[in-house]
Amino acid sequence: MTHDFDPRIHRALDGELDRTALTPEERTLVERLDAASRALSDFPAAPGGTLTHRVMGIIRRPLQSPVERFRRWLTSPHPVTLSLRPVYSVIVAVLLVALLWRAPETPLLAKHEGVAQFVARFPEAHSVAVVGPFNDWRPEATPLSDDDHDGVWDARVILPAGPHEYMFVVDGERWVADPMAGKYVDDGFGRQNAVMEVRPVRSE
Amino acid sequence: MNQAVLFLLLLLPQQNDGSRLAGHVPAAALPGVHAIIARATQDSLPTEPLVEKALEGGAKGAAPDLIVTAVGAEEARLRNARDLLRGAGAPGPYGVSEIQSVSLALARGLPDRIVSKVVGAVRDTAPGFALHAVADLSAHGFVQDSSASLIVAALRTGLTGHRLLDVAAAADREVQRGSTRMQALAKVRAILPAIPSQPVPPGAMQGATRPKKSGG
Repeated sequence: MTHDFDPRIHRALDGELDRTALTPEERTLVERLDAASRALSDFPAAPGGTLTHRVMGIIRRPLQSPVERFRRWLTSPHPVTLSLRPVYSVIVAVLLVALLWRAPETPLLAKHEGVAQFVARFPEAHSVAVVGPFNDWRPEATPLSDDDHDGVWDARVILPAGPHEYMFVVDGERWVADPMAGKYVDDGFGRQNAVMEVRPVRSE
Repeated sequence: MNQAVLFLLLLLPQQNDGSRLAGHVPAAALPGVHAIIARATQDSLPTEPLVEKALEGGAKGAAPDLIVTAVGAEEARLRNARDLLRGAGAPGPYGVSEIQSVSLALARGLPDRIVSKVVGAVRDTAPGFALHAVADLSAHGFVQDSSASLIVAALRTGLTGHRLLDVAAAADREVQRGSTRMQALAKVRAILPAIPSQPVPPGAMQGATRPKKSGG
């Protein structure tokens, strides 16, 4: 480590030049350097450490873990500059709209498919479902809804065109043949299933 | 080697059927149901209606012996339906829906001779709608033979498929207007094929969903 001291100052600090030979400004500087040297000498010494090690030992912050550094990087603000030509901006906007826009829920039907509308009036019911071979007779598969709570439940189901047997299950336990069906068939278990004929939506 | 592959191929549908039935049909009914399904498979009958009948019995809490009886009755009806299709000279091979719709017409009370008459008159299309138009008329008190004659006449004028249901509906409307059933049939026959078609109500498809089966 080197310093560009005035040689006279250097000599005075080393005791080679009598300080009375110095100008008042030079004498003041020498006294300040002496004071600084004494202050550093009084600093508590770490065993075996140099001055640099001792000072850095005190001012060094504890090491951060990689996770902590990554978290700080994530949560600290960073300037981001995005340069786009307007035409690209428009394309990106159109693509986003196309991706996010949802078409009305009108399913595509095959040639020999139709929509069966199941409607039932059960004013006291808490739940109504339609069951048939089309859902393996599982009451949880096709629930009817009564959005306006008027006791009229309905569901629209896509089925192959043709006749279909069905029943309603009220409150998960009461099996009822649709009283409005007008067409019934014995189910082989001592009851009757209602029959609905589903017409194809597309004409043949 | 070939026999082993054939055996595995025969076993595969039964395993699928078995996995659909397990837990949904009483265990006591399963051996009987599986035996009927195996027999149907051997005779190239559709097995899906049999699985559905067993699932129906299980869902309705029917006794095991009643489930086996009902599945057996379904198998007999499917066999009869297939034989009637063959006997009437309907062009094969017969699909599941075709055999099933004839079977359902039989279950709705149409006798074999009426089914044969209608199936014999249907050409190049599935007989399901024609049979169920007759079954609809029969359910509303029309004489079965006269009903079948009307539907056969409609087929000869070129009406097919679900339009035959419109023919039955037109006869019903005539009765509601005060005609006797015989008069109604005669009036509708006189205007064939100019039968008004039932319009699809607007928004009928909105919100419609496809049902899911437990195996799919």
